[in-house]
Amino acid sequence: MIPETGHYALVLALAVALLQTVLPIWGARANDAALMRVGPTLAVAFAGFVSLSFAALVAAYVQSDFSVLNVYQNSHSDMPLLYKVTSTWGNHEGSMLLWVLVLALFGAMVALFGTNLPARLKANVLGVQGSIGVAFLLFILLTSNPFLRVSPAPVEGQDLNPILQDIGLAVHPPLLYLGYVGFSITFAFAVAALLDGRIDAAWARWVRPWALAAWAFLTVGIAMGSYWAYYELGWGGWWFWDPVENASLMPWFAGTALIHSAVVMEKRDALKVWTVLLAILAFSLSLLGTFLVRSGVLTSVHAFATDPRRGVFILAILVAFIGGSLFLFALRAPLLRQGGIFAPVSREGALVLNNLLLTAAAAAVFVGTLYPLALEAWNGAKITVGPPYFNLTVGALMLPVVAVMPFGPLLAWKRGDIAGVAQRLMLACGLAIVIGLGVAYAEHGGPALAPVGVGLAAFVMLGAVADLAERAGVGRVPAATAWARLRGLPRAAFGTALAHAGIGICLLGIVAETSWSSERIAGIQPGGTISVGRYELTLERMEPRTGPNYRDVAGVFRIREGGVERGTVTSSKRLFLARNMPTTEAGIRTFGFGQLYVSLGDELANGGIGIRAYWKPLVTLIWLGAVVMALGGVLSLSDRRLRVGAPRPAKARRVPAPSPAE
Amino acid sequence: MTLWLIFAVMTGAAVLAVLWPLRTGAALAGADERQADLAVYRDQLDEIERDRSAGLIGAREGEAARTEIARRMLRAADEGRGTVATASDRRRRIAAVVALVGVPAIAGGLYVGLGSPDLPGQPLSARLSADPATADIAVLVRRVESHLEANPDDGRGYEVVAPIYYRVGRLEDAVRAWETAIRLLGPSAPRETGLGEAETALAGGVVTADAQKAFERALALDPTSVKANYYLGLGAAQDGRRQDAIDRWSRLVAGAPADAPWLPMVKAALDRLASTDAEAPAGQPPAATPPAGAPPAAAGASAPPAPGPDAADVANAAAMTPEQRAAMVRGMVERLATRLQANGDDLEGWLRLVRAWNVLGEPEKAKAAAGDARRAFTADPAATQRIDALTQELGLGS
Amino acid sequence: MTRKSRRLLLISCALGVLGIAAGLVLFALSDTIVFFRSPSDIAAQHPAPGTRLRLGGLVKAGSVDRQDGTHVRFVVTDGGADVPVSYVGILPDLFREGQGVVAEGTLEPDGGFRADTVLAKHDEKYMPKEVVEALKKQGVWQEGEGGVPARATPPATPPAVPGPTSSAQ
Repeated sequence: MIPETGHYALVLALAVALLQTVLPIWGARANDAALMRVGPTLAVAFAGFVSLSFAALVAAYVQSDFSVLNVYQNSHSDMPLLYKVTSTWGNHEGSMLLWVLVLALFGAMVALFGTNLPARLKANVLGVQGSIGVAFLLFILLTSNPFLRVSPAPVEGQDLNPILQDIGLAVHPPLLYLGYVGFSITFAFAVAALLDGRIDAAWARWVRPWALAAWAFLTVGIAMGSYWAYYELGWGGWWFWDPVENASLMPWFAGTALIHSAVVMEKRDALKVWTVLLAILAFSLSLLGTFLVRSGVLTSVHAFATDPRRGVFILAILVAFIGGSLFLFALRAPLLRQGGIFAPVSREGALVLNNLLLTAAAAAVFVGTLYPLALEAWNGAKITVGPPYFNLTVGALMLPVVAVMPFGPLLAWKRGDIAGVAQRLMLACGLAIVIGLGVAYAEHGGPALAPVGVGLAAFVMLGAVADLAERAGVGRVPAATAWARLRGLPRAAFGTALAHAGIGICLLGIVAETSWSSERIAGIQPGGTISVGRYELTLERMEPRTGPNYRDVAGVFRIREGGVERGTVTSSKRLFLARNMPTTEAGIRTFGFGQLYVSLGDELANGGIGIRAYWKPLVTLIWLGAVVMALGGVLSLSDRRLRVGAPRPAKARRVPAPSPAE
Repeated sequence: MTLWLIFAVMTGAAVLAVLWPLRTGAALAGADERQADLAVYRDQLDEIERDRSAGLIGAREGEAARTEIARRMLRAADEGRGTVATASDRRRRIAAVVALVGVPAIAGGLYVGLGSPDLPGQPLSARLSADPATADIAVLVRRVESHLEANPDDGRGYEVVAPIYYRVGRLEDAVRAWETAIRLLGPSAPRETGLGEAETALAGGVVTADAQKAFERALALDPTSVKANYYLGLGAAQDGRRQDAIDRWSRLVAGAPADAPWLPMVKAALDRLASTDAEAPAGQPPAATPPAGAPPAAAGASAPPAPGPDAADVANAAAMTPEQRAAMVRGMVERLATRLQANGDDLEGWLRLVRAWNVLGEPEKAKAAAGDARRAFTADPAATQRIDALTQELGLGS
Repeated sequence: MTRKSRRLLLISCALGVLGIAAGLVLFALSDTIVFFRSPSDIAAQHPAPGTRLRLGGLVKAGSVDRQDGTHVRFVVTDGGADVPVSYVGILPDLFREGQGVVAEGTLEPDGGFRADTVLAKHDEKYMPKEVVEALKKQGVWQEGEGGVPARATPPATPPAVPGPTSSAQ
């Protein structure tokens, strides 16, 4: 009964989404209040039915109901409960359902919290959102239905791909989808504005929270995916420029550009056309990512299964939405009124530069990812565009972004004073140079660019602090006043500083990891010792263990640093029984911000084992930096001025005060 | 019935999501546009004031920004798109009708095409604890397996599950289960014959040295074991010791009660062995009873195999390469299929055919055979039930 | 400056940045792309030693020689030709004889291939796509086979009874 209820809920969700596409937009065109009112209730109903459907699928997984084909193919009754739940989206069908679930939840949030949006804009937004729902529900129901049944039911499932049997599956895809699909809202806002033919500074205010939320989720989602690959794949790399990673990076670049250009639009009524285009692009790139991953065009750990029908279907969705929105854009954009003017050296100018470089980076990744596909389609040549390409292009484009970043927030709107700003950043810049020189002195003989990178990272972090200090008036007003002002600064100011500092932290991690990692590959016997970095690893013993659905052989290593005992680290080779598939579970110990990383290789004829050990200094900063960036986004989001639905009109209810005394 | 009730309630809720906001007198969802715009601009003015008092922007720049925002406010007020027209009854009615008709039609239509309303949910735990009488064999096996995981010293459990493994073609598991049962419970004639039989089937019908030892141990425990005698005879025939085989089988026939169900079969095997005497070159090792032709072991430990390939085939097969042998097996199965097409009232034959195709890795043909069998026995519920049980067991459903 | 000239300046700046970016992309592309080659391709075309390539095919059965746990030699074959590969490092989990593999590295003057990266499949069901196509070309691969030539595909419709469980138990 549960699977069929879920199936019917999904079908019903399609019917609701169809109405949600038609009625509110009709209402907005006809200026009919009653029809527009239908939008929010339908959006909530849509979310309700999709949630019900998703819950039913989760229940089928938890109960190991192998009469559901999808459960049979991707689950096993011996799996721990957590993985039974997460394997719901550890496969093509389930992950598409998660995609639609996130879409529906975002739509419901617009319906519920967007009480202060203009009625017509809201109706159009929900209508566009509904149409995306229709497309993807049709895709799921017709080509990727997770509720197909098997009769008679098998008694045991085929198990989830062992690589996916990890806590990472619980974290990475949902966060990434919250990011990807979050951009559907900004897309819907853009298309709604184009449908209505009017767009102004206030529009940017309404879009920004959604763009910020999506961006923050995407940032953490990408970072978590990177960390997952780092520890699960056992090669110690944290970014592979895999096409699927690139697919998530492109919307991130576009989204980052969008949250910046929306500020310009809100404050200065400028860059309107560009901002709308970015909103469309960010979601188009998300769709492209979905297409690349789901169509089987690419082979990777993410390509669960390939079915040409699916590829064609997603391609059709892609063409319809991207083509349709760009057509609408071409039709309507010339009608939008131009806004404020500004000098090249100004806050706007800096943000334009940021936007140009970020979109160029997105384009470079786009070319690098799709060029091999295009070339193969054209003349059959099979090529790979590897890390050197991406390191070169993205690195070269991001360098100026990072270098100019501390200047941006300090420049005035409309017409900035670059000399004045430089003066204010003097201290930060000086300190950064000292740090860079210090590093060069301490690590002489290392990569020549490393001190420059560290100096740059320091400049970005110190620049963020300088920005806050400047706003508080440190040095111009008495300390007490400055402190009071600092506390009174809007949260968005802290958010900006935090997000920018996060970039610096991330950069520091990247520079340290690439410049000063040490690696040792060796075959050792139990009792043998190797040294990596400052550490000495002794293989104490190999012990066999048994898990719920796997058996493994674990190598326990004792760590010493200069003769001092620093605990143990355990790395194992795991064999998952249902698929008879081995995996490597890397052993990781964190010391400070660095990590000691050990993974086991093959057993040797002489009774020893091959091991690969790394010392990666400051490597955790890469992901911590991303988390700090996202926190900055969340902090901005919590700013009273940006809170979803703010500004509140007079008739809006007050938030209930926490104290009953009021 | 409950399911359809749930569907009806859900459909009702979906329709209501349209009808409820359409009712007259409801408040407009969303803000008045002019008010919404103005609120944003007012907030921006506040911000400029804040920045100015913090000394972030000069008085002159602040003033310029204020003017700019004030201009936006004027424009927003001017554009006169503040109010939203009232609702029209005609549109409202159309929307209501679309919802009332469209939602059930779309959802119902799609669901009927895609769904399986007659299949209940089947959580594994419920299936494992269900009444054994209604559970399918696979579930029963699974239940015994989980029991054995918890009690690995329960020899009885292995003894129960071993013949079932054998029957469903999990031969390696059958061998392991028999071995474990013998280790835990000690040897007995049925256990040893079961082991030997499973080993023979695993070797593609060849009585291997291990199997031979098992049958000999069985015979030592129970000299009258029909199965052990039969297989030892088969092994002898395969080794080219034809006389030995004939002696063994003859003794078996001689000592049999007249109504023994396996008697005609052994006799036939014996006749065939004797009649090939002249034709087959002496010393040619015979062979392979494929698992396809293997006997339904659960019927009783002492029942000899059902008539499989005739002895001539067996005798020839041993000299063949594996490919040739596979072709021969296939030929036999095809002959069986042809015979059943001509004369379809041999239920055992049909069941054997289904099993044989399945073992040969041709589930489609197995399914087709099962379908033919069902048609041949439409009037016989007991037979239909056995066919269904078999397809279920082999996983040929759906 | 007038509004128009400002716009012009802005647009030319933008074009300048995009131009630099495009130049960068083209330069990087021409310099860093790596071609995929099967052993037969290498046998037929004799690429110059030192060329960076991705070599894909099957690991020839019986060819894997682990010298001291970190130094490995094996032969990649596609049925038409063989290429000996040497690699220092830990092989991926799913690296097995008779299975698909992609190695990236350079050709040596003696016709061997020095790999710095070895990739196997992410999942036992799938094979690198390039490898499948290269094998198809050599006729080693038959359409409809899901795994490797030696192994049958798991059936599309699930058997109610799982086959004999792996001997690993």
